[in-house]
Amino acid sequence: MALYLHFPFCRRKCRYCSFVSCAGREADIPVYINALKAEISRCPGGESVGSVYFGGGTPSVLTPGQIGDVLATVRSHYSLSSGAEISVEANPGTVDFPYLTEIRRTGINRLSIGLQSLNDDELKLLGRIHNSYQAEEAFQQARQAGFDNVNLDFIYGLPGQSLADWRRTLHGALELSPEHVSLYALTLEPGTPMWQDVESGRLPAIDPDLAADQYELAEDMLAVHGYQHYEISNWARPGYECRHNLVYWRNGPYRGVGVAAHSCLDGRRFANTDSLDEYLAAFSRGELPAKALDEEIGSELRSAESAILGLRLESGISADNIKGSYRQTVAEMTDLGLMESSGGNIRLTRRGRLLSNEVFCRFLPD
Amino acid sequence: MEQALIRNFCIIAHIDHGKSTLADRLIELTGALRPEDIGEQVLDSLELERERGITIKAKAVRLNYQAKDGRAYRLNLIDTPGHVDFSYEVSRTLAACEGAVLVVDATQGIQAQTLANYYLAMENDLEVIPVINKIDLPASEPDRVLEEIDSVFGYKPKDVLLISAKTGQGVPPLLEEIVKCIPAPGGDSGRPLRALIFDSHYDDYKGVIAYLRVVDGQIIKGDRLKLMGQGTEIEVLEVGYFAPVPFPAAGLAAGDVGYIATGLKNIGDCRVGDTVTSLKNGAAAPLVSYRPPKPMVFAGIYATQGEDYATLREAIQKLSLNDASLTYEPESSPVLGHGFRCGFLGLLHMDIVRERLEREFNLSLIVTVPAVRFIVTLADGRQVNVVNPTDFPAPAGIVKIEEPWVKITVITPSVFIGGMMEFIIASGGIYKRTEYLGQYRGGSELGQRVLLEYEVPLRSMLTTFYDQLKSRSRGYASLDYEFTGYREAKLVKLDVLINDVPVDAFSRILPPDLAHEVGKVVVDKLKETIPRQLFKVPIQAAIGSRVIARTDISARRKDVLAKCYGGDITRKRKLLEKQREGKKKMKSIGRVEVPKEVFLEVLKLG
Repeated sequence: MALYLHFPFCRRKCRYCSFVSCAGREADIPVYINALKAEISRCPGGESVGSVYFGGGTPSVLTPGQIGDVLATVRSHYSLSSGAEISVEANPGTVDFPYLTEIRRTGINRLSIGLQSLNDDELKLLGRIHNSYQAEEAFQQARQAGFDNVNLDFIYGLPGQSLADWRRTLHGALELSPEHVSLYALTLEPGTPMWQDVESGRLPAIDPDLAADQYELAEDMLAVHGYQHYEISNWARPGYECRHNLVYWRNGPYRGVGVAAHSCLDGRRFANTDSLDEYLAAFSRGELPAKALDEEIGSELRSAESAILGLRLESGISADNIKGSYRQTVAEMTDLGLMESSGGNIRLTRRGRLLSNEVFCRFLPD
Repeated sequence: MEQALIRNFCIIAHIDHGKSTLADRLIELTGALRPEDIGEQVLDSLELERERGITIKAKAVRLNYQAKDGRAYRLNLIDTPGHVDFSYEVSRTLAACEGAVLVVDATQGIQAQTLANYYLAMENDLEVIPVINKIDLPASEPDRVLEEIDSVFGYKPKDVLLISAKTGQGVPPLLEEIVKCIPAPGGDSGRPLRALIFDSHYDDYKGVIAYLRVVDGQIIKGDRLKLMGQGTEIEVLEVGYFAPVPFPAAGLAAGDVGYIATGLKNIGDCRVGDTVTSLKNGAAAPLVSYRPPKPMVFAGIYATQGEDYATLREAIQKLSLNDASLTYEPESSPVLGHGFRCGFLGLLHMDIVRERLEREFNLSLIVTVPAVRFIVTLADGRQVNVVNPTDFPAPAGIVKIEEPWVKITVITPSVFIGGMMEFIIASGGIYKRTEYLGQYRGGSELGQRVLLEYEVPLRSMLTTFYDQLKSRSRGYASLDYEFTGYREAKLVKLDVLINDVPVDAFSRILPPDLAHEVGKVVVDKLKETIPRQLFKVPIQAAIGSRVIARTDISARRKDVLAKCYGGDITRKRKLLEKQREGKKKMKSIGRVEVPKEVFLEVLKLG
């Protein structure tokens, strides 16, 4: 099982962000940690856990002591495998060498740093709390602190971002030489300040063809530098694939703890309430948090999800799983050059990765 | 009741001049309803009518009015449809009255349908009471409108009532005027029955309900009657009047207006304009010559989803129960599948039918480019009627094409005359005459108002004509049209191909010199509105095998959901489900997914 822990705190909300996180609630962190620990101890215990992921929000707003505290609870409640992957998402604006050294000491062995860009104008546009110097500095400090498994997050397809702008950021990223890179196309979520800026014309609209060029440029550059494109948005040096995220793509079991955390266990997908206040209130009443989602995943939906998630991976899905109406879908997608077969597996082509939604929605049950 | 105390009248007006509001006020003042019972505009019963501010079906209300002469009168108010498409119904309504209140908007003055309705009233020998409405509005110009009414209709200002139907100002004197000016109905209850059907609707329990005006004789429940025009025989299951809800009564006598329940299942058997008489010893001649309304505009109606065909069939059947003017025949299209070629009285009628089908039956529809009925003479001497461009014969076999023409009346402020004439000529119009309405020069910088009369092919009015008329006159111009007859025409069929598949829904018949320009506009619009596909899509316009315009839609490159946030697979899946639902609403043409909006956009182009 994989374990996800959500920390919905941020120094400031980024201009593109629609995730469950809030700025200015740091004072609630201590009680939130208690609530989260309480939720863990109320879950069935003893299970073997292969990965722990501190996600957010910005989990790096926690003190090393708080991180260690949470990990201690996890260790005492679950059976954490030796060599388990324990990741923390970090914002470059919240970390320094002593901090990183200390959290490494608590047992964190993988760091995912949200650099997003190495261009100061773009960082400003995104509403990040750090500049490119701080971003690179955070990475160097992580190295000095002993982190040998580091992911860097970047966003492409920004309004006004040229292919050359993106190439410079990629160059900078490759110079840092992380073990893992995640590249996300900017999605303008309705209601976010950035979406409003584009809607009102204060920012230029995103050119989807340029974003496609940027993606393909990244594929080419990262391949040359020895990164494996193991998932649509993720690249890693061999052996450094994110084990936690692989559980998602392989439709494996995971437990999410904390506000808005999602779980997939025993044929169900469920999630905690999105509201920090509700979550804390439930804790103070000694109750489990309310669920924002609880659905049973029948066998038909389960195979659809397995196909959709598995196709995100470079390896694709076994051709043996292509049955019934999927056959026609695969034939059609293959005709259009979006899918291909390779060594008994069916997978997306280079073009198919960029058009993966078109492929995936055809795998959904009627 | 004594016939001398009955007044049968209607209100006639250009659209939005306040006919329904005035009807409400009359109902309220005579106490048929208390103000709080009056929703908005009692006589407009269909939701759609209320939204569009037009009345589709005529209704009749009986009002009891205590006049200043101390006598109690029975006023039968018959509501008339307010749009050109329904002029046949308007004329039947007028035939059921002795008088009409002619309402003119104090801010707009006489409009095309004011004129058309006035002429219909004259043809029916009605006593007309002119009123100027909306005098409460700051923008009202009663002096200018008085001058127009004098100049156009010859009513002196002292004979015109100034009212505000909204506030009720001036409405009580109008009631007196109705009693005083409009003659009591003639006719004789002792003579054989003759009653005019001026409207009908279908009721699930009572069958077809016919609204009628009894001219001679009387109707009692249980009577066996006959429609003189159609030959339909009926038994009167119920007889009554509206007050304004249906109110069963013992009978209706000469001069009365009311309804009968017929038990008929098909509204087509009981059409507006027919005369009802007794089955035995009936009258010798009908009241007016009956003619069923003829559809003038035709379009294919298809369900966006093929599997909705059965629902569509049922929906059209149901709708036609209440709409005898709607004709439909099954047709099938290689691209759109099974659907119906429907005939409508006009474009508004078409719009209303489409909206009602979608709204009341929850259907997603595609309506093809509207067309007229062409009469094509073939080389072998045969004549064929073509209502679907797809059926247009190959050019080689055609000797002669004839198409319907209409006479249009446009009323516009004089500053817009130039632009107006230019575009009517470009639409193939032939100038007939100009008339200046009134001499009044004050008030408006737009100049005097002018009536223009043209003849144009109905074909060129089917799409953007009305919108252009409005946009070229800043909304001031108004339009009325009437069918004049068939004339010879030089026309070709323009086809549109998406990914090499001809889309019959986009085919149109037009003059050859317009084909290139229209073809280009259509392919450009398709490029703009069809979303990029997973492959390159050529869009072409062609006459026969000759391509006259072409453009390509480049293949889509990116559609990817990047971040899986904290294992929230459900959100991702829901987005994909939404995307797939979106696909279901599209029509697949030559593997190209075409959203329904594309059809509407192309339809708008003309």
